[in-house]
Amino acid sequence: MNIIEEYKTLQTRRQFFSQGKNLLGTAALGSLLGSGTSTSAGEGVVKTHFPATAKRVIYLHMVGGPAQMDLFDHKPKMKEFYDKELPDSVRKGQRLTTMTSGQKRFPIAPSKFKFGPAGECGMMMNTELLPNLAKKADDICWMRTLHTEAINHEPAIAAMQTGNQVPGRPCLGSWASYGLGSENENLPAFVVLVAVPSNRDQEQAISSRLWGSGYLPGEHAGVSFRSAGDPILYINNPAGVPAAVRKRTINNINALNEINFKAVGDPETQTRIRQYEMAFKMQASVPELTDLNTESDHTFKLYGEEAKKLGTFANTVLMARRLAERGVRFIQIYHNNWDHHGNVAGRMPSQCKDVDQPCAALIDDLKQRGMFEDTLIIWGGEFGRTIYSQGNLSMTNYGRDHHPRCFSMWMAGGGAKGGTIYGETDDFSYNIVNEPVHIRDFHATVMQLLGYDHEQLSYKYQGLNQRLTGVLPAQVIKELVL
Amino acid sequence: MNQQYIWRSLFPLTICFAFVGVIQATEPLQYNRDVLPILAENCFACHGADSAARKADLRLDQRDVAIGTGAIVAGQPDDSEIINRVLTDDVELVMPPAELKKTLTADEKEILKRWISEGARYERHWSLIAPSQPKLPKVRKKNWAKNSIDRFVLARLQQAGLSPAAEAIPAKLFRRVHLDITGLPPAAEDVAAFVSAYRGNKENKDNVLSDWIDKLMQTSAWGEHRARYWLDAARYGDTHGLHFDNYREMWPYRDWVIRSFNANQPYNQFTVEQIAGDLLPKPSTDQLIATGFQRCNITTNEGGTIDEENLANYAADRVQTIGWVYFGLTTNCAQCHDHKFDAITTKDYYSLAAFFRNTTQGPKDGNVKDGRGPVIKVPLEEDRTRIAALPAEITAATKSLEARKIAAQAGFNKWLDVTEKETVRLELPTKELIVNLPLNEGSGNTVTNQIADAKPVKVTGNVTWVANGRTAAPVIKTGNTFDLGGLGDFEKDQSFSYGAWVRVATAKASAGIIARMDEQAAFRGWDLFVGGGEFAVHLIQEWPGNAIKVSTSGAALKAGTWQHVFVTYDGSVSPDGIKIFVDGEQRKLTVNSNTIKPDATIRTKTPLRIGQRRQTAVLEGGSIQDVRVYDRLLSVTEVRTIAEATLLQGIFATAQADRTKEQNQTLLNHYLNQHDPEYVKLQQVVLDLEQEQTAIDARSPVTHVQVEKQDSDAMAYILMRGEYDKKGEQVSAATPASLHPFADDLPNNRLGLAQWIVDPANPLTLRVTVNRFWQEIFGRGIVTTPEDFGVMGADPSHPELLDWLALEFRDSGWDVRKLFKLMLTSATYRQGATITQQKLEVDRDNALLSRGPRFRMDAEMVRDYALAVSGLLSRKMYGPGTKPYQPSGIWEVVGLAGGDTRNYVQDKGKNLYRRTVYHFWKRMAAPPNMVAFNAPSREYCAVSRERTNTPLQALITLNDPQFVEAARKLAELALIETDGSDQAMIDFIITRALSRSLKDREFEIVQSSKQHLLEYYQAHADDAKLLLAVGESKVDDSMDDITLATWTMVCNQILNLDEVLNK
Repeated sequence: MNIIEEYKTLQTRRQFFSQGKNLLGTAALGSLLGSGTSTSAGEGVVKTHFPATAKRVIYLHMVGGPAQMDLFDHKPKMKEFYDKELPDSVRKGQRLTTMTSGQKRFPIAPSKFKFGPAGECGMMMNTELLPNLAKKADDICWMRTLHTEAINHEPAIAAMQTGNQVPGRPCLGSWASYGLGSENENLPAFVVLVAVPSNRDQEQAISSRLWGSGYLPGEHAGVSFRSAGDPILYINNPAGVPAAVRKRTINNINALNEINFKAVGDPETQTRIRQYEMAFKMQASVPELTDLNTESDHTFKLYGEEAKKLGTFANTVLMARRLAERGVRFIQIYHNNWDHHGNVAGRMPSQCKDVDQPCAALIDDLKQRGMFEDTLIIWGGEFGRTIYSQGNLSMTNYGRDHHPRCFSMWMAGGGAKGGTIYGETDDFSYNIVNEPVHIRDFHATVMQLLGYDHEQLSYKYQGLNQRLTGVLPAQVIKELVL
Repeated sequence: MNQQYIWRSLFPLTICFAFVGVIQATEPLQYNRDVLPILAENCFACHGADSAARKADLRLDQRDVAIGTGAIVAGQPDDSEIINRVLTDDVELVMPPAELKKTLTADEKEILKRWISEGARYERHWSLIAPSQPKLPKVRKKNWAKNSIDRFVLARLQQAGLSPAAEAIPAKLFRRVHLDITGLPPAAEDVAAFVSAYRGNKENKDNVLSDWIDKLMQTSAWGEHRARYWLDAARYGDTHGLHFDNYREMWPYRDWVIRSFNANQPYNQFTVEQIAGDLLPKPSTDQLIATGFQRCNITTNEGGTIDEENLANYAADRVQTIGWVYFGLTTNCAQCHDHKFDAITTKDYYSLAAFFRNTTQGPKDGNVKDGRGPVIKVPLEEDRTRIAALPAEITAATKSLEARKIAAQAGFNKWLDVTEKETVRLELPTKELIVNLPLNEGSGNTVTNQIADAKPVKVTGNVTWVANGRTAAPVIKTGNTFDLGGLGDFEKDQSFSYGAWVRVATAKASAGIIARMDEQAAFRGWDLFVGGGEFAVHLIQEWPGNAIKVSTSGAALKAGTWQHVFVTYDGSVSPDGIKIFVDGEQRKLTVNSNTIKPDATIRTKTPLRIGQRRQTAVLEGGSIQDVRVYDRLLSVTEVRTIAEATLLQGIFATAQADRTKEQNQTLLNHYLNQHDPEYVKLQQVVLDLEQEQTAIDARSPVTHVQVEKQDSDAMAYILMRGEYDKKGEQVSAATPASLHPFADDLPNNRLGLAQWIVDPANPLTLRVTVNRFWQEIFGRGIVTTPEDFGVMGADPSHPELLDWLALEFRDSGWDVRKLFKLMLTSATYRQGATITQQKLEVDRDNALLSRGPRFRMDAEMVRDYALAVSGLLSRKMYGPGTKPYQPSGIWEVVGLAGGDTRNYVQDKGKNLYRRTVYHFWKRMAAPPNMVAFNAPSREYCAVSRERTNTPLQALITLNDPQFVEAARKLAELALIETDGSDQAMIDFIITRALSRSLKDREFEIVQSSKQHLLEYYQAHADDAKLLLAVGESKVDDSMDDITLATWTMVCNQILNLDEVLNK
């Protein structure tokens, strides 16, 4: 008896594939980009440990490290300390970067911006530069006591994104993709957008390693959507090849592969057939995704006219909403040029202008579409900045160096508790007084919102059950969660 | 023996077979196979090697401690605390504790009990026991085996109830062999030749295969293909990897790896040279290049990073790389804490790091291509013969020149006699001479510019004349200088030349010698200046923002001595256009400022002055003579003539008896240069040779090497929790205590480490290496965690085979070609790749080798394949990284302003079609069409690649211009080589792409597809044109657009077939 013959008559392609998958039996195959075959929308590929409040994430990373005391960490007392030395009792001999460790003085630079209470929660924030965001204060969960060990950009961004300063670990988006899989057959589960700031004075390096999948399987790496050229690399057919011709081409390739499969029986051939089908579906769906003409005037009023300009922060945030609508699990946006070593007065306004209206708009927009409750928005940089001035100090201008011991971030939607103001720093915004949130705690909390116990969502690598929060203690901050 | 290891890696399989799934009650338990996995998974995290994480001072990984604490009482499970704690229902006491969320199965508990009752015997971890020559297993169907590999494989298959697959058909076998040796598809003629020869009896077949393997291993493609895998492990890249991620020049290392494989360098030498080539006695250039392996780690120049931390990071990377590549141990875990599972302590880790910390490499790379050293210059291949020969040739030529000097003495004396009596004829350049101011009047207050119709020179103050080895010259003082009025009113794009004899009073002088410069108008103008012990030239509109300044480097000024200083400028508005000659010799210049703007002017109304600028910078106490200004560029010879002739004037004015030795030497030199053609000829030979040497040197790339500090021993501090600023105990370089001993006679440095690594007594290196080579061919290692042979790594699927290969490799003298040939000639390798239902269930991943290897090729092979099949592939080897097609914006998104890898400038011509191993690899944005196919970023060591299968890959092979162009070239080739009939065209294309012909049903699909495409392009001729315009290679004009477009799309389909993308 010819076992292959018998086998061939018994198996259809789909059955075969699902069997192959069961043999593998893990997240690895099932979460291949677009394979939503076995999971209904919203259900994780790795089963969630508790009900998820956030089904997707839009993470707005402010590259360079925004100055917390100029935005969200109000320090009125500092007015009296203008140009006075940072007391040793506050600094406690803490490590400085080599950019200011040579400074003879560490004079206090109080924020030059107007602060005021926002919302019923009374969040004291920079209402001068963030008037729109201030109106959403009660929707936002404010965190003022994030802290990290890293003091320079490269390791700090790596730590914020992957939980480890050393490059090569999977990032938050990859973990989400690994856990949750995709909701959309035609789009990747994890998309990255790099926004172009209106001021490009002192941008920091952004490496594609930041959206790498580390030791997780490669399909969990972020797919970078580009503002110029093809939105997804190689998504467009060559000139002179219309969709209809491409469709036929793919059908022929698959027909020939089918014959080859029958002869050799390699299940990977079946996977390839499916991937060519998916590639075509992606090609078909991306033009619709990126076509902003279908958006109403109301949308552009909400996000601002800038949203029409490719690559602006407003434009990427609007794209993020469209991606979220279509089932993309994790959308990471990078907005650069927050590294204000000098000229805070000159640079902070344009940075805030870039983000203020679009962030507020995103909250409203998600609400009106009924997506706010299950979409988690995260806003923040990789560390904070110093209260003392780097370089020249005047009443109207100053610079600030990196500061890892405390900084501010915020979350909204997706089960984050709106109107919460969490954590307290000292009068100098230098040390944490109350309710610290290590970035590991923050990661654990985000995982919780996604339905995962951060100690349980792991991946076996080099003999260890590796996880986002690593081996050091981390805890979910319950006060931040609805 | 075969059951020494548990087949944990084959879990779905193990449950099917009684021999491993259930342990026979009669057979004693084995620690490594039966017990260790349970302890490692459930206990060692808290009761293992890591002292920091250890709970209750209990470790279960060491028998004496486990027994000493009463956790285990050998032979008495009921008295053993470990058993009580595992069995108890008390949540407070039960082990593992509830919060770990790990529970033991009833079987596992039973195994622990039995093991203790049998005496609780421990074993060393398998990979740390030296391999011993295994006995060949007994098999049925013995004649299937081609060599010993097959005996081991067959024994396992038979245990699993499987039979090997039938041999692959010859064409497929040949394609596979060709791909595995060269990384390229075979030429159709070679397939045909192999197929017709590979017939008849077993012996003939074996000979034919063996001959072809030898032949293919002699091609240069062999080294390129093998090198590619090694370059992943070595984390080779063309940029620094962090922050600016600028260009790092070290491709000579990449080329060395290729050459080394092509020379079949024994692997132990290959290893020693890379780890410690610099410490070998009298290392060759190649041995130094090899140490680039140590220098491939990512580095930074980010402002604000802390030097000490950077250096700690660099050493950590080297330890990790060595750990993964040679030890097969995840040493990096011990950076922060004692390894939880393997016997590597934090102390071991930092003792290893110490080997790598004694380097002269700095903490920052400067964002420059040489990374601020240590580097060496490596002459290009084509220059090597010459550069080696040149020193001897230069010595010989110089000798001849010296000999001529002696031989010319008679002629010189004769010339001197004649010349002394005559007036020296001074044929000095006069063309465009606008100032000729000898300043040798010797007295009075009048000096003359000896140009016809020159205006009188304005003299300020009373001139003091003094003789200082020359005719009396004026002494410059404030209020005592010369003013030449409106002469020398040059613009920046005019060429001019000027200079004088100068005697500067003090080395501290900071003064104008010849200057037309207005310091009150931001120094506008030009000058010859002396300052900081050097001569300098300024061209200024506004200092410093709009100016050029160059100065001599190397203390050119000799205070108190007459020096002839001359400047030529070619009007190029560039520092390169300025030359400064001192005593007739052109000096090396430093560019101090180059900020001049295109619209700048250097013209000023201030007069031309000798001895000062407009008002300041007076050459106090100095003297000046023979001032000359030319309104043109003077040649080097002209400048020399001026310097020399005016010198000679002075000498001849001195009585013969009073002449100094230097003066006599000057006369001789003058004679030789001007009046002895033989000498001039010989001198030209020397100059040409020296120039050749300089030119080669200038075009030679640098490469990063490892250099040991000479004045210190290798040491390091233990860094608590891996933090660079928490220094603990100081440790000296040492290998891990738990591994084989470091021989007393080995030096305690990297060379010792290297020799310890390749010590035949090392149980790890050989196994780890053959496993990686095996993985290259079979797609997965015998150990599937190639970087981890430790307790938590996968166990070998064929432990005895692994040992046999390791010993075979050692006994062959670490012969890489021989090892590969052994694998490629095995019956195991020759199997067809067809999968049966049974095999799919029992051996889905082909771990048991129940069929031939078939898997998707690596990124580079996918691209090289398309290029080769289409005839586009360039076989040019070596050299700087190539930049083929890449979507726009890949570098720009991650690049920093001012970075030298921010803008991707695509290559033209041949470099678009070179093998992918030569790709320029920017680590922060690796080529996207490679990354999508799982190529690593090369930021850190990678000893295996994933093989995912995603739609993004389909988009690349369908749409990337590289692949579309290859499809067009393949179509062109087919149209050229055939009569154009469907049958001939399809046959041609398929033979090249698949090394076979099509079955009828397949042919029908391709032909009908071609028909549809033809109809489409007939109706849309414009689209045909657009499609053909993809790619930079020329379209064959003689071909009909519609036909070519049609076949291009047919080829595009074929090149996307699963069978093409798979080995």
